[in-house]
Amino acid sequence: MLDFLQTLSDGVLFGAIYALIGIGFTLVFGVMHKINMAYAAASVGGAYAGLLVLKAVAAAPAWMVFFGAFLAGGMLGWLVYVTCFHFIPLSSPLAPLMSTVGMLLLIDEVIVHLTAGMPQSYPAMFDDVMLRFGEFTLRGDLLLVFGISVLAMIGLLALLYRSRLGLATRAVAQQPTAAQLCGIRVTRVNALTFVITGLLGGLAGALIGASVGALSPLLTTPLTVKGLIVTVIGGLGSIPGAIVAGLLVGGFENLFQQFRGVTERDMYVMLLLFAFLVFRPGGLFPAKS
Amino acid sequence: MKKIAIAVAVALAAGSAYAQEKTIKIAGFGAKSGVVRSFGVNSEAALIAAADVINKQGGVKLADGSSAKIAVEFYDDRCTAEEGISIIRRIYGTDAVVAVGPTCSNVAEPLFGILQKKVDDKGDSGLQMPVFTDVAIKIGLARISEWAFRNVPNETTMYSSLFYWLKTKYPAVQSVYGGVEEDFAHSRASWYAVMKDRAEANGYKVIGNSKWLVNDTNFSTQVREIKNANADIVAISAHPFTTCGVLKEMQRQGVKPKLLVGLTSSSSLETLQGCAKQAEGIIIPTSFAPVTKEGKAAAETTAKFKGAADLHSMAAWENIFILKQVMESEGISADKSQLQADRRKVRDGLAKLKQTQGLLGVTRRTEDREADKPYLFVQAKGGNWVVLHNPL
Amino acid sequence: MDFYFGLAQTVGIHTLLGLSAYIVLLTGQVSLAQAAFFAIGAYSAGMLTVLAGWHVVPALGAGSLLGAVTACAVGFPALRVKGLMLVVATLAFGEGVRLFFFNFDYQVAKGGIRVGPLGGEGFRQIRFFPEHGWTTAEVMLFIWVFVIGVMALLWWLDRSRYGAVLRSVGEDEVAAQSVGINLTAVKVSAMTVGGAIAGVGGGLYAHYTTHIEHANFNVLLATFAIAYPIVGGLRTVFGTLTAVIFVQAFLIEGLRFLGDWRNLLFGALIVLAMNLRPHGLFGRHGA
Repeated sequence: MLDFLQTLSDGVLFGAIYALIGIGFTLVFGVMHKINMAYAAASVGGAYAGLLVLKAVAAAPAWMVFFGAFLAGGMLGWLVYVTCFHFIPLSSPLAPLMSTVGMLLLIDEVIVHLTAGMPQSYPAMFDDVMLRFGEFTLRGDLLLVFGISVLAMIGLLALLYRSRLGLATRAVAQQPTAAQLCGIRVTRVNALTFVITGLLGGLAGALIGASVGALSPLLTTPLTVKGLIVTVIGGLGSIPGAIVAGLLVGGFENLFQQFRGVTERDMYVMLLLFAFLVFRPGGLFPAKS
Repeated sequence: MKKIAIAVAVALAAGSAYAQEKTIKIAGFGAKSGVVRSFGVNSEAALIAAADVINKQGGVKLADGSSAKIAVEFYDDRCTAEEGISIIRRIYGTDAVVAVGPTCSNVAEPLFGILQKKVDDKGDSGLQMPVFTDVAIKIGLARISEWAFRNVPNETTMYSSLFYWLKTKYPAVQSVYGGVEEDFAHSRASWYAVMKDRAEANGYKVIGNSKWLVNDTNFSTQVREIKNANADIVAISAHPFTTCGVLKEMQRQGVKPKLLVGLTSSSSLETLQGCAKQAEGIIIPTSFAPVTKEGKAAAETTAKFKGAADLHSMAAWENIFILKQVMESEGISADKSQLQADRRKVRDGLAKLKQTQGLLGVTRRTEDREADKPYLFVQAKGGNWVVLHNPL
Repeated sequence: MDFYFGLAQTVGIHTLLGLSAYIVLLTGQVSLAQAAFFAIGAYSAGMLTVLAGWHVVPALGAGSLLGAVTACAVGFPALRVKGLMLVVATLAFGEGVRLFFFNFDYQVAKGGIRVGPLGGEGFRQIRFFPEHGWTTAEVMLFIWVFVIGVMALLWWLDRSRYGAVLRSVGEDEVAAQSVGINLTAVKVSAMTVGGAIAGVGGGLYAHYTTHIEHANFNVLLATFAIAYPIVGGLRTVFGTLTAVIFVQAFLIEGLRFLGDWRNLLFGALIVLAMNLRPHGLFGRHGA
């Protein structure tokens, strides 16, 4: 029984990582209705860029590296916006999709070139903190990630529903022409939102690097796939949904691994997704239409 | 008029000297993309460095007594089968006499598959190009074609020797538990067919093994299994990224086995860069360390060409010298019109070899075109790989 | 010369992959599952020639049929999801199929050694072509017979009522439905044809690389499958062919002389192409 609980809690805690990256995905895909396949790559790229802080300031504390990643993520977010969404007309929905795929490949290659593909050790906060309750343990650093996800959620919800920028973003996503007629500068709003999701993505990338212990280009594809799955299960556009879905996927993933082994684990995660698509296509928190 | 005459004379002299200068083309190929980029970069540097040394010493002696310089051209196969096959076909169309590569075992397997299986089999339309592998290490590949040769360490021999030596040095140590990267050809085969098998053969009790995938990031369950198994030795058959992930999780959960054993290809800079602290004490058998005069010189020369020296790139270095020896003993012409005959001679020469000179000592060549390389055991200490034991 | 024949083989097989996504894209569905049907075709055709001793032609037929049947089965639930959800669902299906083959062991003893797919280690020694003495040129021509056949079929379909129906569903589903077009029949049939094409492509792929494993049929291949028709444009099948030539012949092989820069240019040129020609190199229908 303890084994089961430990597996479940390990998985759910690790799911905090999926939750954090899922928030950004659901904002981009669900609120802005833009397919940005490069989101996870830009987040990981931001994390790598954060390591440059260590080059500038020897033995810099972890939070400085995280902050560097945060800023770099924002810049990459803006870059993705300019290269994939700014110039391409809305009448061709497939072009931005393919363009973001191109950016994903480009960012990946730049990372590989600059690091020769080798894993880079990442500074962490609380990575040696293990909360112990007898035999039962909880990873302290993942609790931090969860805490940050919740803070990010609160911040973003406030931004989206209590600020003018949030109102403008939602207006532009729902009715771009009407929004423009109301005097909203569409390009500026889009660019700004990409920067904000990029900032969050950079921070997510840094925390993922810290939790995993090292950054590697290998992280990009699984994070992209998990991020997409979490977005769909949580409900497109729902930030609390992304968090719950992230924890859910993390927990189930670990349980599947416990019972069916690592080679079949991901097949069951896919089946979980299909179950949602069949029985609850709107996700956990469907968007009100 | 006099100036023109001098110019013409000089040009003629240069032209004829140029016409006498023959080159032997050796094509290198490997992965210069993705997480395996460092392998390709190092192999390329080692090939060029070795060729440079040979050229400075006068080059390769040809059948007609003249000398030829070696020219190396390196291709990036991006660790994909399709590109590897395309590259070998491209190489076949150039005047390269032999190809050295690939890096990835998943490229080597299909690539060897399109070579002619048996020489002189007129019904087999496979490619007739000798390939001399430096890195791709998954067991049993050269068997696939008589044109395929490898200079990679024999993991069975190395791990057998390692477990034997550990048993004699630490007699109280009785049990082994493994960790395996299940979805990577090399690491998977290296646990089931090599480490597990050899540990048992040397009297260890193999309690079991945990599994993960090559880009996994959460090892809490696996490390708990390792903890519960409570084995004396934990053997990790995985590449640096997941090895570091597992080691960091082991640190978190307070799992400290008596001994740690790792996978051959993880005895590189990557592991130290990813988790030097957690990897402290891990023991890995390897077929290269700069302990001999030749080894140190090779490492230094390769460094000049911006490559790191490890068991993989130094195999590429050795390959160039072995090929020089083979080309001289078989007597090739380096003549474009005799290209296919030259290739056949290189193949036959490689097949005839019973032993070659390696950077650690003499390497025995086996019947199925593999190598039995001398090896030693290294250990991660203070952020460096130090030689733990040299069985030679 | 062999190199160019080999390159033509690669272009041919990737064109089949691209065309399998093309026909599905015409109906407005972005499917990342084509690599899965490709994989099914590869493993089944390979198993038939290696384990059952079939000739490659009926083996390809069987691979194509299995691809079509699977695609048809996927086509129905795919109707229920649109847009991004379909992308994610097909991506998940594709990964599911890849993982199935990761776990799939079916080995038979033949002549003293065991042959057949072995889970993570893959399926080696699919040597029908070299064992029967086919030259590189002959294999190339064989592949192109299928490519030209499929291109001709799709080109002819485009000129027929079926093609107009497909495109109308892709343009505006509601309008199409309101003139009496059966959306289910159209979308599922397109998916089925796509699966059949991918099945043939996969079968050929297995035989020309001689060794397949689950990792060959990953997210990247699925992405390439839709990249070709999107970059080429949906106006005509020649768009997909041109995009494949652009990527495989120009970017991957042609730019080799750039050394390390080649890989960096790859992503950058795709971004550039999409910004300069958002509807693809050949543009869209009627544009």
